[in-house]
Amino acid sequence: MRVVNHIRELRLKNGITQIRMAQDLKITRQTVNAIEKNKYNPSLELALKLIKYFNVPIEELFYLEGDKE
Amino acid sequence: MKKKQWERLMIAIVLLCTIIGGFIGLTIADVTIDFSLAAAIICAPLLGLLPRFFLAARHKKKMGNIPEADERTALILKRYFLGVLYVVLFGSGAALLVLYAMGVESIETGLLIVSMMVLYVSIAIGTLIAAKL
Repeated sequence: MRVVNHIRELRLKNGITQIRMAQDLKITRQTVNAIEKNKYNPSLELALKLIKYFNVPIEELFYLEGDKE
Repeated sequence: MKKKQWERLMIAIVLLCTIIGGFIGLTIADVTIDFSLAAAIICAPLLGLLPRFFLAARHKKKMGNIPEADERTALILKRYFLGVLYVVLFGSGAALLVLYAMGVESIETGLLIVSMMVLYVSIAIGTLIAAKL
């Protein structure tokens, strides 16, 4: 099952650019883009950083495709 | 040691090896090393390094403190080098078999050096591309 996420929506809602997010999380802009497009699943460490960054519960950020949001 | 210090140390080692390699190469080729030749051997790697500094400065100005590599880059490079390993292993084996089938019984070391150089350059270019994906 594919993991999908709401990172793009959350980022835009908070008015954060991909570059700013990359700087804050110490990752490349390409990685931000790949995660947002669901082309790359972040490591547990990065996933936890993302949860802390957006201050949302994990199920709000990541969920399995087909699962009820 | 900090990351920046390691980076500087690596650049210094590469530069030193390039310069020493230049002198060794000329000594093997029995070329008399005069001042202009020595200056060229020393200055060429230093000049070649300048674009790297300009690009790094441009990247810093444009992207701030965004790292050049992260966990995804490491994963991509790992996959790339795994692919390279198989291509080089089976590719060189297949090339040898084809050459043997064609009736080639010996290979000049000069030709081997050139083919290895082409291989190294292609792997390096591929690495740069893979790291930027």
